[in-house]
Amino acid sequence: MIRRETITEAMYNAIRLGATKMPPDIRQALQRALAEETEPMARKHLEVSLQNADLSEKGNGLVCADTGFPMFFIHAGAKTLLEGGFNVLRECAEKAVARATAECFLRPTMVNPITRKNPGNNVGPGMPKIDLTFDLPGDTLEILAAPKGGGSEIFGTFYRMMFPADGMAGIKKFVIECIKDACYAGKVCPPAIIGVGIGGTADVCMGMAKKAALLRPVGKHHPDPEVAALETELYEAARSLGIGPMGSRGINAVLAVNIDIAVTHTAALPVAFNAQCLVGRRWRALIAADGTIQYTGELE
Amino acid sequence: MKDIKLPMSESDARSLKLGEMITVSGLLFTGRSRFHIRAIEDDLFPPIDYRAINCFFHVGPVMKQQENGEWSVVSCEPTSSIRFERYGADVIRKFQLRTLIGKTTMGPRTAEALREVGGVYLSKIGLSGNALRGQVKKVHDVYFLDELGKTECTWIYEVDHFGPFFVAMDAEGNNYFEQLSRETASRMPEIEKKLDIPAGYDYTEVNG
Repeated sequence: MIRRETITEAMYNAIRLGATKMPPDIRQALQRALAEETEPMARKHLEVSLQNADLSEKGNGLVCADTGFPMFFIHAGAKTLLEGGFNVLRECAEKAVARATAECFLRPTMVNPITRKNPGNNVGPGMPKIDLTFDLPGDTLEILAAPKGGGSEIFGTFYRMMFPADGMAGIKKFVIECIKDACYAGKVCPPAIIGVGIGGTADVCMGMAKKAALLRPVGKHHPDPEVAALETELYEAARSLGIGPMGSRGINAVLAVNIDIAVTHTAALPVAFNAQCLVGRRWRALIAADGTIQYTGELE
Repeated sequence: MKDIKLPMSESDARSLKLGEMITVSGLLFTGRSRFHIRAIEDDLFPPIDYRAINCFFHVGPVMKQQENGEWSVVSCEPTSSIRFERYGADVIRKFQLRTLIGKTTMGPRTAEALREVGGVYLSKIGLSGNALRGQVKKVHDVYFLDELGKTECTWIYEVDHFGPFFVAMDAEGNNYFEQLSRETASRMPEIEKKLDIPAGYDYTEVNG
C-alpha cells in the first residue's frame, strides 16, 4: 500500500527536479546540435541555453522561468494499491503543485480563462492535468511530472481533420508547415521535439501527439518500421528549412519528430501536432509498493 | 559588445544594426498581456515617469519575497512578444518607448511604430533567465501586484550589462525574422518535392 504522503512527496520532488534539471538525453541532443551548427547566432543560442541549465542545476534558478502547465503522466499496475484509492491522485497532485509554486519551483501561471484571475498556486479546474494508465506489470506507481512551457504549447499546437484522398502528401505537408510556423522567430523555443498523432478521434489524436513529444526519449523511433521511416523523412525535411535554434539561421529546428498512430474512421484522416521546447522539462518518480522512491530524468 | 545606457537615446537606437548583439544598463519596467490590454483598453497603467524608465521588458519573472519584505528575482526569462502585436504599436506610441526586450519578434504595426519613435526591439539569446537574474542589481518597485499577481504585474528593475540580446527589429522598420522567413519560404518548393508532395497540392475543402 503506497501512502498519500509518499505520493505527494514523489510528485513534489519530480516537479522540483524537472523545473531545475535538464534531462540527460535532451542535454546530449543539444550538445550534438551545438557541434553541428556553424552560424554564430545559432551556436550562441545553444551555448547560453546549456549554461542556463548548468546554473539552475547548481541551485541558481530554473531551467526556464515559464514553468507552464503542470501535468502528470502516471502509470500503475493491476496490483498497485494506494492509501485512499486512486481518487487521492488529484488531491496529492494539487498539494504537490501548490507547494512547488509557493517555493518558487513553479511560477504562478495558471489563470481562469474568462476572468483571467490567478489563484496563485497553479491549481484549478482541469489543472494539474492527470493522465493515468494501467499498464505496469506489478504493484508499483510511476509518476512523470512535465511542467510544459507556454511557448511550445501555445505556438506548437495544431490539428487538422483531413480525408483519405488527402493521403500521405497531406500528412507531410501539414507536419512540415507546422514545424515551419511553430519555429518562426523561435516561438516554440527550438530545437523542438515534435509529436505527431495520426488517427483516432480529435482528442485521441492530440493526446498521441502530446505523449509523442513529451514521453519518448530523443532518438527512439516508433516500433512500426513504416511509421519510423516517416519520422526520419520529416526529421530530415525539417533540417533543410534553414531554421536553427530559437528560430535563427541554422540546421536544428527540431531534435526529433516522433509519430504515433491509432486506428480511425474509414472516412477520416485526423492529424495532430504538438511541440516540446528545447529544455524538454520532465522528471520521473518510481514508487515501489513499500514506499521507496527513485527519481530519474531518463525515459524508457 | 556594446552596452547601451537606458533610457536609450534616439541616436543610439538609430545606430543599432539588425542582428547586432548588445547589453543594456539602467532602469526598465516589466509587463505582458495584461499591461498591454489595460493600458490601451482602460487607460490604466503604472504611474511611472516613462521618459526616465523607457525600456519595456516583456517578461513574467519568478519572484521571491525575502523575510525582510524585499523582492528578489529567481529567474526572468523573456516572454513571447508576438502575442502583444494587437496593442504593441499603441503602447509604443503612448509611452514613446525606444527599447523593447522580449522573445520572438513583433509584427508590421509595431515595426512602423518603432520607426516613428526611433526605437528598437531586442530579442533574447537562448534561454538565459538565470544569467539575467544576476544582472538585475535592484528591484526598485512593483505596481498592481495584488490585482495582477507576481507574473503579470509591473516590476521596476535596475539592470547592469543586461543581456546579451540581439536587435531583431531596428529603428528603420526592418525585421530580422521576416528576412529569415523569406529564405525559408524560398526553400519550401524543393522540400515539398523531396517529400513527394505534388506541386499545387491542397487539402480537400469541405466548407462552403
